[in-house]
Amino acid sequence: MAISKAEDAMLEPQLDKIRHVKYWTRCIKTLLPHQYTSNDSNRMYLAFFIVSALDLLDALDAASNEEERQGYINWVYRCQHPDGGFRMWPGTDLGARSNPENAQWDPANIPATYFALSILLILKDDFKRVNYEATLAWLPKMQRPDGSFGETLVNGRVEGGQDPRFGYCATGIRFMLRGSSTGDLSVNGRTIPDVDLDAFVRCVRVAEAYEGGIADAPFHEPHAGYTFCSLGALAFIGRLSTKGSIDETPPTAPCDPGAVVSWLVHRQTELTDPDAGVDSEFTAPQDMDDVRELENGKTSGAQHDGTVPAHQDPVGTTAISIFDLLVDGAGMNGRINKVADTCYGFWSGASLHIMQQPKLYDQEAIRRYLIGKTQHPVLGGHGKFPGDLPDLLHSYLGLAALSLAGCGEIKAVDARMCLSKDACARLPAIWQSFTAGR
Amino acid sequence: MPEHAEDEAKYYDDPEWADIEPIQQADQGPNPLAAIAYTDEYAEAMAYLRAVMARDEKSERVLRLTKDVIEMNPAHYTVWLYRAQVLFATHADLHKELEWLNETASQYQKNYQIWHHRQLIVSRLCPDPASSAAARGPPFPGAGIDVDSLVAKETSFVASMFDKDAKNYHVWSYRQWLVRHFGLWDKGELEFTEASIEKDVRNNSAWNHRWYVVNGKEGSEGVKEEKVREREIAFTKRQIRLAPQNQSPWNYLRGVLRKANLRFSTVQDFCVEFADLSKPEGDDVFSSHALDLLADIYAVDEGRNEQAKRCLLLLKDKYDPIRANYWQYRLEMLDREMGSGIDSHLPEHETRNLTSAVSV
Repeated sequence: MAISKAEDAMLEPQLDKIRHVKYWTRCIKTLLPHQYTSNDSNRMYLAFFIVSALDLLDALDAASNEEERQGYINWVYRCQHPDGGFRMWPGTDLGARSNPENAQWDPANIPATYFALSILLILKDDFKRVNYEATLAWLPKMQRPDGSFGETLVNGRVEGGQDPRFGYCATGIRFMLRGSSTGDLSVNGRTIPDVDLDAFVRCVRVAEAYEGGIADAPFHEPHAGYTFCSLGALAFIGRLSTKGSIDETPPTAPCDPGAVVSWLVHRQTELTDPDAGVDSEFTAPQDMDDVRELENGKTSGAQHDGTVPAHQDPVGTTAISIFDLLVDGAGMNGRINKVADTCYGFWSGASLHIMQQPKLYDQEAIRRYLIGKTQHPVLGGHGKFPGDLPDLLHSYLGLAALSLAGCGEIKAVDARMCLSKDACARLPAIWQSFTAGR
Repeated sequence: MPEHAEDEAKYYDDPEWADIEPIQQADQGPNPLAAIAYTDEYAEAMAYLRAVMARDEKSERVLRLTKDVIEMNPAHYTVWLYRAQVLFATHADLHKELEWLNETASQYQKNYQIWHHRQLIVSRLCPDPASSAAARGPPFPGAGIDVDSLVAKETSFVASMFDKDAKNYHVWSYRQWLVRHFGLWDKGELEFTEASIEKDVRNNSAWNHRWYVVNGKEGSEGVKEEKVREREIAFTKRQIRLAPQNQSPWNYLRGVLRKANLRFSTVQDFCVEFADLSKPEGDDVFSSHALDLLADIYAVDEGRNEQAKRCLLLLKDKYDPIRANYWQYRLEMLDREMGSGIDSHLPEHETRNLTSAVSV
């Protein structure tokens, strides 16, 4: 179902940059409506989307002044946990009534810490207020014997799933604080052990599925989100194998990079409409029962309870673009035989970039899909499926995926960290300052 | 939303809660990020939650409060753990908890915490299914549990969740846990996957579950055992014939062959059913996945590189052009292996000549 190249050149859909900037400026300037309450415990994650999106659009300075940016930085630091790491939001802080007996109910949170540090990086903070020592000391405590990482430490027990989202965030935290150095760290006379890198590699290996992708646990179905997290984590710790056979000294993963790459390129699908009833031999039919909610518990909030956030007023009809009349692109899905979804444009696309194969997927087709089908023509941002209202997660990942797929109007993105290369480039100076400080 | 009089705060005006001083959310400064316009109900419930957490209180009223918070914010990453502790400390009726979880499942079906909580409750009700005394620890409501009844209820609940969404990742993961915890390997799981696949042959989650049921039991050989292997290959071939362009069974077939240490060429004739390149009038292809597998067979198993090349070219130019860049990459890899120069773009008439020269 390819279109002729001549038509492509004339009809390459344009990113509506002004509308996207408007969307994100609203998000940073106004309160999110009460329908986002079910995402209250994800606020650091949402905050990351907002700040990083404006950065990718090169609109941070326009959308905020120096005082406000300092205010954002201060808010992030308010979420820092006294024993290392960060909270997702101030909601678990017991304030003056905190004591050792109730400390278990106000733990530091692994993804929160990763996104907090990312926000600080984007906002050009110098990390001087980061509790570097305590945070690095906390990381090994968050790792289980099987090599996986958890979300929080509650009453001495590692809680949260064993899935690679936490492995990604934990290794990402480690990467932002100590780069590629390994082994014990000596900080102010104290020895801080490293996490067990070999065990982590092992836990990724055993989750590699017979189909070629990576799951969250052995025998579970492989999934592009978990595949991205696993590959990103391996990249963070320098244990990624992109070609041929794996190493054992030290151990790397995945065991079969070719199978992972093949599985990833097969995520690209022309199946874009979850309501379509077509069942032809050469298109994978959609799952008729596919519910419009995010997988893995990461909800957008916007449509979680079926209502619409107040600042995203529903428009009577969504504009039908000319591209609906043509074959208009191919997005990516997260699992075999599922319909395309904006966010997998990032999870699946970025995974290929991490595997050093950025050209193996059809970048033009995905640009067509993201701009022509899921970009919201009135509100800006991106929805999950064509015609959907925008939400923070899909809007952000839509931008990141577009950048990786060659859209020149968005800043270059670091595929592992899912933020701008500009921001990422500040890390060496931060590593330097930590080393000097010791 | 909790129901109460408009001008009455739910907890503040409730005499039962008079002894508790709520903890307001810590000051966020003038520029908070991702700030949400909380309803008064939510703000109040959270303030009381913090207050009871501060006392580490384990009482029945906390069960009502945590339920209230969960209904407004089910992703709160400590409230479920707190609730679990309180349930166990107050010897609450865990069967009632499961009923409540069943009711609220559709709302929270893709939330990790609710499934972990369910697992905790079921594990608590039946920590060691293999033992004859199913209840361990202090007696509580539901002690002396009927394991079969619990299993039946759980599998029935899981089946009803699949009716809503046959590919829900968390539900399939939970089902795997049920199989392992209760040893349900031979208790109808294989039949369940067959029924799911019959309902939708493209449900990849069902295929994945089948792989687990066949190969996942500790100590079992799975498809390494000849009888099992033959059964699985026959089953898979049958499903492929129903929908040859469905990727799930093709991957399953590859997986079986790989695990059983069989060469892909053992299914060459089967592949040719769906991708016959021998006809002089052109190619007869019903499945791009068959072409893909044939390319591997020719390139790896038989050293018939020109035929492998032909398959990859057909995929690139005709049968799977969305992945043209990938098929081109495969061609380049093949050429590198062959040591020959790269000429991966055959004109149509040369392709026809190649066809007649090929013996399949």
